[in-house]
Parts: sequence; structure tokens; C-alpha cells
Amino acid sequence: MSVKYVPVQWNKNKWIYDWVMLLGVAVFLYVFLYASPGILSHERPINPQVHNARAFGACAFVMLTVILCIGPLARLDKRFLPLLYNRRHFGVMTTFVAITHASYIIDWYFAFASSDKYEALLFANTSYGQLSGFPFEVFGIFALSVLIILAVTSHDFWMKFLTAPVWKRIHYLIYPAYLSVVAHVSLGILQDQQAHAFTVIFISGATAVGVLHLLAAIHERRQDKAITAQPATWIDVCDVSDMTEGFARIKLLPDGKRVAVFLMDGQLSAISNACAHQNGPLGEGRIIACLVTCPWHGFQYNVRNGQSPAPFTEKVPTYNLRMQGTSVQVDPNANPPGTPVDPVPSPLHPQTEGAT
Amino acid sequence: MSSNNKPFFVGYLSAPGPLRRFLLAICVLFIVGFAALGLTLGVAQDDPGPGAFRFDYGRQTVTGVIELTPYPLVRVTIGNDRIKPGTTLMLAGQGKSSVDKRAIPLEGQLAKVSGVVLQRGDLNMLQLRGGRNGISAVEGAASKQTREPLGRWKLAGEICDGKCLAGAMRPGRGLAHKACANLCLLGGVPPVFVSTQEVDGSEFLLITGPDGDALPKSAYDYVAQFITVEGDVERRGDLLVFRMDPDTLEVLE
Ligand code: HEM
Ligand code: FES
Repeated sequence: MSVKYVPVQWNKNKWIYDWVMLLGVAVFLYVFLYASPGILSHERPINPQVHNARAFGACAFVMLTVILCIGPLARLDKRFLPLLYNRRHFGVMTTFVAITHASYIIDWYFAFASSDKYEALLFANTSYGQLSGFPFEVFGIFALSVLIILAVTSHDFWMKFLTAPVWKRIHYLIYPAYLSVVAHVSLGILQDQQAHAFTVIFISGATAVGVLHLLAAIHERRQDKAITAQPATWIDVCDVSDMTEGFARIKLLPDGKRVAVFLMDGQLSAISNACAHQNGPLGEGRIIACLVTCPWHGFQYNVRNGQSPAPFTEKVPTYNLRMQGTSVQVDPNANPPGTPVDPVPSPLHPQTEGAT
Repeated sequence: MSSNNKPFFVGYLSAPGPLRRFLLAICVLFIVGFAALGLTLGVAQDDPGPGAFRFDYGRQTVTGVIELTPYPLVRVTIGNDRIKPGTTLMLAGQGKSSVDKRAIPLEGQLAKVSGVVLQRGDLNMLQLRGGRNGISAVEGAASKQTREPLGRWKLAGEICDGKCLAGAMRPGRGLAHKACANLCLLGGVPPVFVSTQEVDGSEFLLITGPDGDALPKSAYDYVAQFITVEGDVERRGDLLVFRMDPDTLEVLE
């Protein structure tokens, strides 16, 4: 949550996250560049520029693969959620690694000619009509452009400025970018090399990304089926005996939106399930110090009015509730974000302090 | 949907105990995994071949007859310890440039050439110094080179740029290097065909167009690919020249 924009709001977990990530990257590059050449029995070494380019390119690919696995892993197993927490730093780091890869290439393969090296990148190979010998560099250029756009717009300032839905749509470009890297590698180095370790790692990585996304989608669809409501003026959410103090039940409304019904101090309140930050699932969070806390990045909301506590200004829509016997029912028409709604006392739970 | 007993992570708070152990395991796995991948990929690099700039020879200056194939060569007549008379050196300028402007006026004449040698097996190239320091006419009679036709051949192999192949870059051939090779060829660097099968004792042949002209532009799409192509082979001293017939070019898989 942000009051004013600072480049990064650091905290201990972000430091740990970044140090582990940087250490992983450093170890990868060190081992690739300095530990393994001794094992290679080449008569003459690979030029350092190409060796560096390969190390950074391979590292960027591995990083991107890991990044893309985090999302579905966190959906399948909540214990992975902390990896999601600071993923944008991981993404920005990947962009720097990828830029380094491209710079080594451009300053080597595309330099030393009478033409400009960036122009040369575009005209040196124009065999677009064939698969073998295809100018695979263009896929790298596309992927790198996307990575740079995403890194530049990764800050919360841009999310506010572009609005979360637009921002989210832009950041889905990571998928075309990953496919583009897959094409870059498949039509590039995989066509060239004799050693097949990279082929195996590359195919395993790309397959893991695909399979995990598929599994997460199936998992999600199954969950959705269980919580989907039929159109009605009042929609059953659950029996009040199913509610736990401090937690929510989520219902998928006929309009496709999700509502999270929380039990706090023995009283029920409903807010939109979509966090104002990045649409994180608020209903999978919990109430900490009287505030609904998002499981993704910890944004907090007052469950009675959908507003973040001052000085923060984020707001989510609220919903009206009623009890029919022991059945909790929600009005599917959302109130404007931040609208206060009187809580509905649970007939089964003790009302505690703070209850009105 | 969560339940009480599952640990809940909030980014700006310390992680709860059981989750902390899980995350620690992930961190260790992450770093060890990256190290293992770095090693696996690092040791899976192909040998880039023996080509190299022979800076260890120092600057070489020899005299010979300039010939055009149309790519300029020098057939050494007065050599030194390193470069024996009779050696044929392909000529190239700095970077991805040719020396056509300086060499063409000297065709068939005796000239002194100076620069650094690039060598890969029996393939030799000289990267000339700038201006007249690199190449200049000298007095003397230039003997005519004998040309020995070796007939029509169908060869399988790869079109490369002679300079990167000879050692200006390692790796200096292959599909990953294709755009670079094209740039060299566009700059006028002599193209070389690397044959999978030796022709009269050599796997390297300088490759030209069908009439002994420059490599046709249509061939650029096939640079660095594994192809077969037919053409006439001719021996000029210790160098073979392959006049390819572009109509016979076929891509192999
Ligand atoms: C302007 C953008 C880019 C250009 C011009 C470019 C160019 C190249 C070239 C020429 C190679 C072959 C190098 C060789 O082995 O000789 C290569 C390899 C590679 N590139 Fe890129 N690339 C770009 C962007 C990217 C991006 C964004 C990624 C991934 C995130 C990437 C990942 C790779 C990988 C994994 C390899 C294989 C490395 C290896 O052999 O181990 N590239 N690239
Ligand atoms: S805190 Fe980021 S999505 Fe909720």
C-alpha cells in the first residue's frame, strides 16, 4: 500500500528475497563462466563475448521459466505465495540479465561492420521464408522489448496511472514474450549445437511452465464450479455454521465477479474478492488486527466499508448481506467501492467487542 | 477458504515458523538448482574449432602476386619463417571489410602485404594493415599462377565467411552465427565452403559465383545451413576455388 511513491518500499522479506535471487543468478553465471571452462577440453576457448552472451541468455531463460512457474505453483499450493510477493524484483533482474545478453551479442556479431550495429541486427539476415536459418534474433528483440516495457511499468505508480485492469493486460504480454524466447532458442542455438544438455533443460523448463499453468487452470475451474451461483435476487453463500472467525467464504456471482464474505467479531460483512492492488484474492486472506489482509502483497481493508485504513486510499466494492435462518445470503449487486455497510450478526457466533 | 492452522504469509511481517522452514528449503533449492544448471549448461558448449588470429606470430610482411577470384588473394613468392613461398593467403580488411579498393588495381602484380595472420588448418588469411602499409606494389616480374581444373563436384557442407571461420570469431560458423556471417559477406569478406568430405586433400574451398564472380545474393539465404551444391573446382596453388551453380543448391536436414 502506498501513500507516496518511493522507488521500492523495502522490508526484511524483500531483502531476503532479493539476496537469494541475486545469489542464485551470481552462482549460475560464475559457474557457467569461470568454473566450467576448465572442464571443457577445447583446443581454443570460445570468445569471451559469445561465452558471456550465452551465459546471460541461458540465465535469463532459466529466470523467466522460474518466474512463470511461481504463479501456478502459488495457485496450487498456498505455501508458494511468498515467492509471488516480490516477484517483480525477479522480473526486473531478468530484464537486466537479458539486456546484458543482447548487448554482448550486438557488440560482437553485429559490430565491426561499416553499418550501424542496430540496423545490422535488422538487415543482416532476412531469410524469413525458411525455418532453418530463420533470423531468430527477431524473437529475442520482441521478448526483450516486452521485458523492458514490463520492467519500466512494474512500479505501483504505473499500475495506479494505467489502472489495474490495463496494467494487468499489459503484463500478460509476458506470455507472448516467453513463447517468443522459446522460438528464439528453438530456431537459434538448438539448430546449431551438437551438445544436447541445453535442449533437455530447455524442453523441461518450457514444459514445466505449460503443465503447471494447465494444472492451475484445471484446479481453478474445479474450485469455481463449487462456488458458482445461479442468478437470483439474493444468493446463498453458505451456512453460517461453515464460517470461521477471521476468515471468509468466496462466492462466484452470476456476473463473473467474486464476493468474499468475512466473519469478524461474530458479525458478517462482504467485500469484493478482488484486491485493488493486483486483483489478489482477498477471500483467501485473513483478518489481521481487524483488517482484511490480502494474501499476495498484504494490502489491508476495513471489512465493514471496503476502505484501506488511513493514510492509504485503496477501496474495494462492498456487498449487502442478510440471514435467512442459518443461511448467509448476498445481494449480487455491488455497492460502489468504499461504501459502508452495516454488518449482519451471526446467530451462531458470539458477538465480541467492536460489535455494534 | 483458508483455515486457522495454515500459516499465512504477510510480506511485511516475519513468516510463521513452519512456512519459514519451507521457504528456507526453497531458497536452498533455488541456489543449488541455479548452480547445477550453470554447470550443466557451461560444460555443454560445443568446441568452436581451432581457428585463431595468430597474434603470437606478430605482424607478418610478405611479398607475392595479387590475384582476384574475384576475392583478392596473395600467392606468396617471397615468404618468411612462418609463411612459406607458395602459400595462398586470402585477404581481408579490418572488421567486416574487404580490401577490394586497394587490391583490385594491383591484380596480377607483385605486391608487399602486411598484417596479422588468421589460421584454421590449411586455411590462411591475412588481415591487412591500413592504407599503403597494408598493401603496396613492388618492382619485379609476377609469375602467372597455374590453374588446375579438378572437374565438376557435388559437395555437401556449409557456406561460411572466410574471416570468422579462419578464426576472427570462435565460434565462427553455424546457424547461430549466420547473421554475422552475412554481414561479413556483405562487407566483401571472401566466402569459404566447408565441405564434409575432403576435396583433393582439403575441406575448405573458396566459393564464388558460377562465372567466377562474387557469391550470388541468392546464396545468402543458405549461408550457415547444411546444403549440397554442384560446381567446378579448380586448384590455384594450395587453395581450391569452387564455382558454385546456384540452381543446384539444396538444403539438407
Ligand atoms: C535484442 C535481443 C536479442 C538478440 C539480438 C539475441 C541474439 C541471440 C543470438 C545471436 C544467440 C546465439 C548466440 C550463440 O550461441 O552464438 C542467442 C542465444 C540465446 N538467447 Fe538471445 N537474443 C536476444 C534476446 C534474448 C532474450 C530476451 C532472451 C531470454 C530471456 C534470450 C535467450 C537466449 C538463450 C537462452 C540463448 C541460448 C544461449 C546458449 O547457447 O546457451 N535472448 N541470442
Ligand atoms: S496486495 Fe497485491 S494484490 Fe492484494
